[in-house]
Order: sequence, then structure tokens, then C-alpha cells
Amino acid sequence: MPVARDRGVFIGTMGLEDDARVDFTRLRAQRRAKVFSGMETHDLDALMLGGVGNIRYVSGARQLGRAGVLPFAPVTVAVRKTERVHLLSTWDEGVPPEVGRDDLYRMSWNPANLAGDLAKIPGLRDARRVGTDGMTPMFATLIRELVTKADLVDASPLMTTARQTKTPDEILCVEVASAIAEAALTAMKDALAPDITERELLAIYHERIASLGAPMPPSEDVCSVTPSSVTLAPGALYAGYEAGLARTRPADSESATRCASAMDALVAACRPGNTGADLYRAWEGTGNADPGLPLAHGLGLGAEPPLIGLGRGRDAAIAEGMVLSVQSWVAEPGIGGCLQRDTVLVESGGPRLLTRYGRL
Amino acid sequence: MRGERFKRLQQQLEAQGVDGLVLLGSSSVAYATGAGAPAQDGDRAALFRTVAVVVKGDSAPHIYTPFADGAPAELPDDRLHGPLFPDLDDGIDAFANELTEHFGSGARVGVDDQTHAMLRGLPTFEWIDASDVVSPAKLTKTPDEIACLRNAQRLNELAMTDALAALRPGVRQIDLSAVFLRRVFELGASANGIDPIWQVMAPTRELGPWTLHGDLAYPTVTTDRFLRDGDVIWVDSGISWHGYASDYGRTWTTGAGPNAKQQEHFRRWRTVVDAALDVLEPGVSALELGKAAIDANDGVRPWIEHFYLAHGVGTDSAEMPLIGTDLGESFDERLIMQPGMVLVLEPVIWEDGHAGYRSEDIVAVTDTGWVKLSGSTYEPYGVETCP
Repeated sequence: MPVARDRGVFIGTMGLEDDARVDFTRLRAQRRAKVFSGMETHDLDALMLGGVGNIRYVSGARQLGRAGVLPFAPVTVAVRKTERVHLLSTWDEGVPPEVGRDDLYRMSWNPANLAGDLAKIPGLRDARRVGTDGMTPMFATLIRELVTKADLVDASPLMTTARQTKTPDEILCVEVASAIAEAALTAMKDALAPDITERELLAIYHERIASLGAPMPPSEDVCSVTPSSVTLAPGALYAGYEAGLARTRPADSESATRCASAMDALVAACRPGNTGADLYRAWEGTGNADPGLPLAHGLGLGAEPPLIGLGRGRDAAIAEGMVLSVQSWVAEPGIGGCLQRDTVLVESGGPRLLTRYGRL
Repeated sequence: MRGERFKRLQQQLEAQGVDGLVLLGSSSVAYATGAGAPAQDGDRAALFRTVAVVVKGDSAPHIYTPFADGAPAELPDDRLHGPLFPDLDDGIDAFANELTEHFGSGARVGVDDQTHAMLRGLPTFEWIDASDVVSPAKLTKTPDEIACLRNAQRLNELAMTDALAALRPGVRQIDLSAVFLRRVFELGASANGIDPIWQVMAPTRELGPWTLHGDLAYPTVTTDRFLRDGDVIWVDSGISWHGYASDYGRTWTTGAGPNAKQQEHFRRWRTVVDAALDVLEPGVSALELGKAAIDANDGVRPWIEHFYLAHGVGTDSAEMPLIGTDLGESFDERLIMQPGMVLVLEPVIWEDGHAGYRSEDIVAVTDTGWVKLSGSTYEPYGVETCP
């Protein structure tokens, strides 16, 4: 009789005695089903993925949050033939039950040991087409020695398509993240005082999201204090899903009004069937100058394509089920500017704001 | 400091016959350029990344960034560019044009990460791993770099005194994160690099998470887990200051202070670190350091199988020199200590049935020995409270 492991005592978010508000088992199963059917559609025998969002999407593992971007490494491997997902994790804590102990491979510092572990993954060596989400010269050599018969192709058409359209459970996670971000905005707003510094506001932001169970922020670029204005732009990650919003307390109410009406125009353009070009047109229609910042980008397990703005993304399709971070930045030369950002869900009938907040 | 780092990269490019570097990873970009950018989560950090290009023989790097405010003041205007988006096909031709400006066809160029958009859209160079150039440059630190590490560590340790003061039965792991993060940003941290860890160590390996190697699982991710009376927790955090990481590691007890058995673990940990420090000086191999630590622990390897006796720290939280990893004994034998190397010594003492002790001591190798960069208090443990 094995000893029961000490898994600790928790309350958690979104779990009540009558029912769990987010069904994570279903959430993971639906993501996984999309990945394997995508492998069928894109004729991929295996995936080797290293992007933080892709790892989470495919494996469902709750991995250690780290800031910054690391070079590609195969942290999770999916094999179509066996329908198994394998994960670089030396232990099973944070690993969902559908990824079994046999599916784990160890953390190593030695690429030869990693290659040895990957070689043992059933079905991987016979793969003919392998999708990756990145490469390095070292891994290009290592992976080609491992899957000698395979073409190495881009996994992003599959992963982008799978991740772009959110399931109801995923949307609920974005809504929880929205509420956490709003709570952080309130905490910072409450602290606003004539001598407050950006550093103090950033400290309050971290304290609030951590106390709500979401200590790793999407970005630490959350506050900007100038002599005439304050901009607060908190985000949050819940179960990996990101939401965020921004508000400015500007020097003059005129720029706030222009910012808000430009925001309304952008959000109204977030309809199924539209493209990035419609957001560009909506912005240009407001008469404001090119903001020099993105107009919108995808959200999900972190920031996602498309990126609309900065000259990019005119052809990007806006589709039902997408979540977008939409922002209006109206700058006043010499004074500063006004930023409004919200998290927007694209529904069949049009946009729905997931973040809720009045003026700052 | 930025000038000295750039010179080291240039020396490596020259010595290895490499024409330049294209850098996309946060820590290598920070090393090559000193460009500041807000800390961002993985996929956001990728989409909105700063790209650095270093050309052999050049006097300054090229920086392509959405965060122009973070560019160092001394960077010539013609080196600061708008952002590239290497993760998108849309606009990859702009990236290709820039590289054509910097490098001739067939150039030998180090790269640390390649997106498929880059593989499709960039000119074909002879790509090599950038780490062949960047790692040797980073291996030893300048006095300024060591000062940055020392300051990052000081901020981390100061904020941890508040977190320790908040620890009592009924506090949750995330409550400690909240106290720590608030304080460390008030004190002046530039960024948080890692979700702070407050792992409860079950008294036996069997009660802890299952592992592939049968050794301990560490580190596991913070949740809203309640910390309860008697819990032994292994703390680990890493904030950065001006691009330089810190690495705080300590063992805490919840409720009552450490008992006699736990103090004994601490004393043994101290003995192991002291044994390694006794032999640490330029010319000593990593293998000799590992052996000194093992001998001091009665022949038992005092570190977790997937880790190491020590790792380096710089713009990465764990970088070379790595001592005691699965790179193997022959690797360790060839890894010779040099002045300017920084070691984070993190042996682990474990007594199955009674949990164990883990802390991290950071030292820099000097011309004649070493100097300590991390603090020398280990509350709630301490030599003076030993029976």
C-alpha cells in the first residue's frame, strides 16, 4: 500500500462546493483534442514545442513562472500515433493526470542526455513530419539525428489556429484574469497621492496580484507617472490566461474624451469577418495620429498573434471566439497622452468587453 | 560595464572567427546591449522582444526594440531602431534587410534562437550557436558586474526579512509572495525574474512529489497552499537589478523555530559549503570542489540529482560555471576556477524522515580566493542558537 503523498491544503479560486466554476479537466481535454486533430489536418506526426504558451496549451502543466523569453528547447512532445503528450518534468507535481509518469522526461544540462530521453519516446523516431515552434543551431543538429526521416516544419499554423478560438472555459479564465487586473487597478488607484512614485505603484500592483493567487504578471510595464498625468495598465494571468486594461488620469479632459471615443471606434471594429485593416480604418476615422503602439493583439495563454498596428496585421482576420487586447493611445505633444486598453472578446454578434472599469 | 562587456564579445568574435551575433533571448540581449525592457511573461516577451545585432569590429551594438526609452544613454542614435517582430512573417523582410546591411552573404553568424519566420525569411548565413560566443564572454564578471550582483542580492535579502516576519501558521504561500514582491519593488528591484518559491518539504522523499530519479522534487510552483505548524519550507527567489539576477535560497520553519535535528542539518550544510570554500581559489577544478563537498558530507553527494553543487549567476539566474551537473566528471575536471567567476553554492542536506536544509551562498572568485556576495544570516537557523 503506497503512502499517500502530502499534497497540501488549498482553497483555490473558482472552486465552490456545489460546482467548480472552471472545469479544468474539460478545458485541458478540449485543448488536447484540438491539438491532435490539428496534427491530423496539418499532417504532422509529432510536435516538439518550447514556447511557454504552447507548452501549457498542449500539456496542461502548471510550470514555474519566469520572466523573459528563453531560446527554443523541446519541453513538450506530442506524438500523433500514440496520442500521448510527453513533458520535460522530473516530477509529477503540477502535471495533469492525462500526462502519465511514463510520459515525463528529466531535466538535464547535458544535451546528450536530453537526446537520449527524447529517443525513448514511443513513435517519435519514426515521425516523417515534425512541427516545432522554434529552433537553434544546436537543436537543429540534435533533432535531425533523432528523427532522421523527418521534415522539420513550422508548428505555428496548427498552434495559432488551435489557440486563437477560445472555448467557454478558456474565456472564463480570461474573465477571472480580468477581475484580478481590475482589482490591481483599484489598489493602485486607491494609492494615488501627489508624491506617489512609479516604484511604489508597481510594488502595490505586485502585492495585489500575488495576494489574489496570480503572482506572475504578464508585464511589469504597468504604471507611468508624469507631472501632469498617471497611467495605470495592469494585467494578470489566471491559469496562464491573460487579461489586462489601462486607464489614464490625464491633465485635460479633452484628450480623455478623444481617447475614449477612439477606443469605442476600435472596439466596434472587432467583429467577425473584419480584418486588421478595419481597425486601421477605424483609427484613421477618428482623426488621431498614428499612435506608434499596437492597436490590438491577440490574448490567450499570454500575448498571441495577430499583431495589428505598427504597420502590421492589415490582413489579419478577426474571428468569433478570439480575445483581443485593444488599446487607444492619444498623445498630446509636450503634455503626455491618454491610454485606454481593454480585453475584448469577439462574439458572433460583435465585441464584448471582458474588462470593466470606468474612468480613473 | 556595458563597454567592457561589449569588448569581451568582440574579443570572442575575433578569437572564434565569427562575423557577428543576432540575439533574441532576454538575457543575452541584456548582456550585449544593456537595453532595459519591462519584465514580461514568456509569450509576451517573445512577441514584443528586443533584438540585438553585434557586428565584429564594430564599436556598439544595434538594438531593435519596442522600448526605446530603455536604450543606454551612450548608444549612438544610428544604433537604436524600431522593433522587429521575428515571431511574425508579417514584416520579416524588414529584419532580412537589416541583416543584409550588417553581414555579407555566407557570413558566419551566431544566433541564440530562430523562429520559423526567420528560417523562411532571412538570408542564409552560416548560423552557429551564439552561446559559443556569449558564454565564454559571460564566464567571468567585471568588478562592476559583481557590484550589480551584490546589490541585486542585497535588495532580495532585505525584502525577505519582511517575508520571514510574516511567516506563521495559516499564512499561504502567495501571501509571502505578496509581502516579498511589494517590499522588493519598494526597495528598488528592477524586475522580478521568477515566481517566488516557498516549497513545503515533506519529511520523507516518499511523501513529497513523485520524481523520475527518486531524489527530491525542487522547485515546485507556488500556490495558495496554507503553511502549517511545523512545515519546513525551502525558499528561493530571484529579482534583478539593472539586468543582473539575484538568487536567494534559505530554509525556514513555520511556527516553532528549528529543533535540534534541524539545526544539525544546518550545521552540516555550513560544513559542506565551508569545505568547498576552503579549497576555492583560481586554478581549482569544479571536480575538486565537488569532491570537497562530498567528502564533507561523509561521501554522500550533497546536492539533488537534477541540479548541482553550484551554478553561476549574471544576466541569467543560472549560467556557467555549473558544478556537479550531468555534464559529467570530465566536464567538471576541465572547468577551472578563474578570478571573476561567480558561484552560487546550493548544497542540500537531507535526512529522510526529518526533511533537510538548503541555502544558497554566493561568492565571487578573486585573485587569491573568494569574496562573499550574499548575506551571512540564516534565520531562523543560526550557529549561535545551536545546542
